[in-house]
Amino acid sequence: MTAKTETRTRRLPFERIPVRRIILVALSLAIIYGVVAGSAATLQTGTFSGADWRTLVVNGLARGSVYALIAIGYTLVYGVLFMINFAHGEVFMSGTYTSFFVATALAESGYLNEHPLISIGILFVVSMVVSTVVAIILERLAYRPLRGAPRLVPLITAIGASLFLQYTFRGLYGANVRAYPEIAAIQGTWEIFGFDFLKKQVIVIVAAMIFWLILYLVVAKTKTGRAMRAVGEDREVAALMGIDVDRTIVATFAIGGALAGAAGILFVFVFNQVIFIMGFLPGLKAFTAAVLGGIGSISGAALGGLVLGVLEAIGPNLFLTGANVPSPNQLQPVVAFGILVLVLIFLPGGFLGSDEEERA
Amino acid sequence: MNLVRANFKTGLVGGSVIVYLALVGILERFQDRNVITGVVGLGTTLVLLTMFGTGYLVSRPKDDGTSQPFGEGLVAGAFAGALTAAVVLIFEAMLGAGIQVRNMLVSVTPDLLDLLEFGLGPGLGSVALVAVGALLGGLAGALRLLPEDVRGAINYSLIVALALSLSEPLMDGILRGLGIPRRWLYESGGLTIVGTIIVVVVTAYLRWQWMRRRDQIAETRAHMPEDRRILYRRITLVALVAVLVALPWVVGPFISDVLGTVGLYVLLGLGLNIVVGYAGLLDLGYVAFFAVGAYAMGVLTSTASFLVKPENAPFAEHGFTNFWIALPFVVLIAVVIGVLIGAPVLRLRGDYLAIVTLGFGEIIRTLVLSDWLAPYLGGAQGLIRVPPPPPAALDLRDPQHIYYLILVFGLLAAFVVSRLGDSRVGRAWAAMREDESVAEAIGISVIRYKLLAFAMGAAVGSLGGVFFAAKIGSIFPNSFGLLVSINVLSVIILGGMGSIPGVVVGALVLVGLPELLREFGEFRLLIYGAVLVLIMILRPEGLIPNKRRQRELHEQEELVTVGELVTEEGPA
Repeated sequence: MTAKTETRTRRLPFERIPVRRIILVALSLAIIYGVVAGSAATLQTGTFSGADWRTLVVNGLARGSVYALIAIGYTLVYGVLFMINFAHGEVFMSGTYTSFFVATALAESGYLNEHPLISIGILFVVSMVVSTVVAIILERLAYRPLRGAPRLVPLITAIGASLFLQYTFRGLYGANVRAYPEIAAIQGTWEIFGFDFLKKQVIVIVAAMIFWLILYLVVAKTKTGRAMRAVGEDREVAALMGIDVDRTIVATFAIGGALAGAAGILFVFVFNQVIFIMGFLPGLKAFTAAVLGGIGSISGAALGGLVLGVLEAIGPNLFLTGANVPSPNQLQPVVAFGILVLVLIFLPGGFLGSDEEERA
Repeated sequence: MNLVRANFKTGLVGGSVIVYLALVGILERFQDRNVITGVVGLGTTLVLLTMFGTGYLVSRPKDDGTSQPFGEGLVAGAFAGALTAAVVLIFEAMLGAGIQVRNMLVSVTPDLLDLLEFGLGPGLGSVALVAVGALLGGLAGALRLLPEDVRGAINYSLIVALALSLSEPLMDGILRGLGIPRRWLYESGGLTIVGTIIVVVVTAYLRWQWMRRRDQIAETRAHMPEDRRILYRRITLVALVAVLVALPWVVGPFISDVLGTVGLYVLLGLGLNIVVGYAGLLDLGYVAFFAVGAYAMGVLTSTASFLVKPENAPFAEHGFTNFWIALPFVVLIAVVIGVLIGAPVLRLRGDYLAIVTLGFGEIIRTLVLSDWLAPYLGGAQGLIRVPPPPPAALDLRDPQHIYYLILVFGLLAAFVVSRLGDSRVGRAWAAMREDESVAEAIGISVIRYKLLAFAMGAAVGSLGGVFFAAKIGSIFPNSFGLLVSINVLSVIILGGMGSIPGVVVGALVLVGLPELLREFGEFRLLIYGAVLVLIMILRPEGLIPNKRRQRELHEQEELVTVGELVTEEGPA
């Protein structure tokens, strides 16, 4: 009796069929077909002129620059701690929402439009400071006690922290959407190379580039930047070399927070409103951007942000209009998350990422 | 002086908690609820509890034996009160200067300040805050000086009194249902003064007796013969089932409805437990299967479904098919979608998987909301006229009736899930969860077992959706947001990952309580967030831990205590 049961091997259903591979191939074929056919059909109908596409692309680049700045926060933290700081979107929201009150006060006193440059500077400082403080508190209270815990534990904490921050700010500042004051100086258009561009979109793109450059220099050249890279490489050895690991991690969160705060001001230039849940979707998309570019890589975050922004802006119109899908822009999140899923499946290292297998 | 310096920080932390509760609006909102009617509201109770708690925490016995509990509690409590008073005075000054604080901090109202000043005005109120803080902190510290059984009895009786007061909507219904007089205990939503005294004294006495005889009872139980023990366990089980069966008729339709919702979350929690608790795959898009279950059931049975066309007349009356025929197909559809979603992404590492599943959840929500699929799924208008399960004679829309349906399927799912956890498959999942590479090396086909977990989770989750559709009778896309996934996740995290009783407790606490305490409503998600963070930091195995899981989570501590040479090292 024993001999018989031992030789009989149990099998799960479908064990012989490569279910996974079949589904993967079918999925990629379907997507390629959908994208190609949809785009071709759209281009044939000629619903959009060349100018329309240009507007969409610039719009996408502006969005993408904001995603890129937020994405840096994810990438830095991931590069040092190998955890996804799910609450980073809320760090972004906290500074932006707080700066709203300063902006309203400035607008009411008339200062905002008399001295737009100084005002915008003040808004940046307020937003960046608040976001930095929130990021540091978050690290201290929620993440530090969990260093060395199994991997899912900090992630679940991060989800909890994200909810907690969202609803804390709802309690503090109220549940309504609030309209951010318009700054007259950044309205209107500029003519560049014979084309009209919205001033605020150009400002957003240029400002994001400047911030990115500063960050790049900080990480590449300063002592803190070198310490960050060392801690990311090997925490124990870095500690042995005399690097204060805790301080370096705090610095990482602080830098990510400051950039998120800056991104928030650029975000309201484009979208003009604040609400307590405003951090969720940009945060998720920025994470997508970070993964797309290769998480851990700073250039990757910038590249991923821009690519995602543009794809998101033109994608639904390009792929779906021709397929007679009504209101294609409703499906923007599908495009963004679809890209995330596809990148993770087919290109888990992202564009500029290091070898993923090593870190898995 | 030393005493002040050492306890000043904790005091300020306590004060910050009070200020936080005030600024996010919890205090004022909760004040509407009586704890002891005419004496103290829930908001004030929270302030007092925080002061008491600060004193109690700060006065815990120290290793070096230099404890001065009373003084420590007093100092910390006084500082907690002082910080609150300082903030109150600042706001009073701002309001006095005509600054519209409410434009920014919406919760800072005169009512809130009045609450914090105990209704005594700014001057006297802030003195009172410091004095009350010192008094409560000192009292809490003094408790430490009492023998353990007395202290336990006092703490316990206070907790029971608070719990009884908060569960007034539930208890009032039960007492009324059983025909027990309740006027002596409850009055306009809170305990009466007399009731409070009786409850505190009685529970304190019972607890004290229990503490004294605890060892004796444990002794008796240890020496009980095996067959007697089994008999007792059976009696408990039968009693439990009897209580569950009788429950809806005791508590009335409103609470039955709440119980139904709790049951739905138990089902969802059981399903997610397979994926997260057993297989260790963090799925943040679990709502997708809930939505698939609800929508599939809706499309198949609703009379408003696109499957029902005027020309196929027999269906127009009853929908395409009925609940019971549709049920297996719905589960099948969910399994197929689970495999379709799972197959491409299951090779991803844990945290990536979490984000991707979250993405899938959002994709499904966007799709059901879109105009594109509106002709089939109803778009923003949703699917209406989903009939209750036949036969009509049983009237399964009634909350007291559908409770049984959910109960039966919940018990069934619990049975299956628990057997599954102990089976060969369950052990394979555990191996995989602990170390994927090792599991693969000993011949476990990781991808297939992951897929199996995903499919089974999907099946159970879709059952949740099915009963949701049957219970509500209409399906709207907004019921299927990320928050459902987070709620279910919170339920199993609080209860303990991989633990079936944990799911029930988690659902009762996180889904049942907020329904009873309507005041909690708007702070529900704030509390969920706090629960997730606190549980992960303080007790990652949850309230009712699964034994195996608990060991995994505390592996490192054991290693450190076993051998001093083993360094504390995280999985990099």
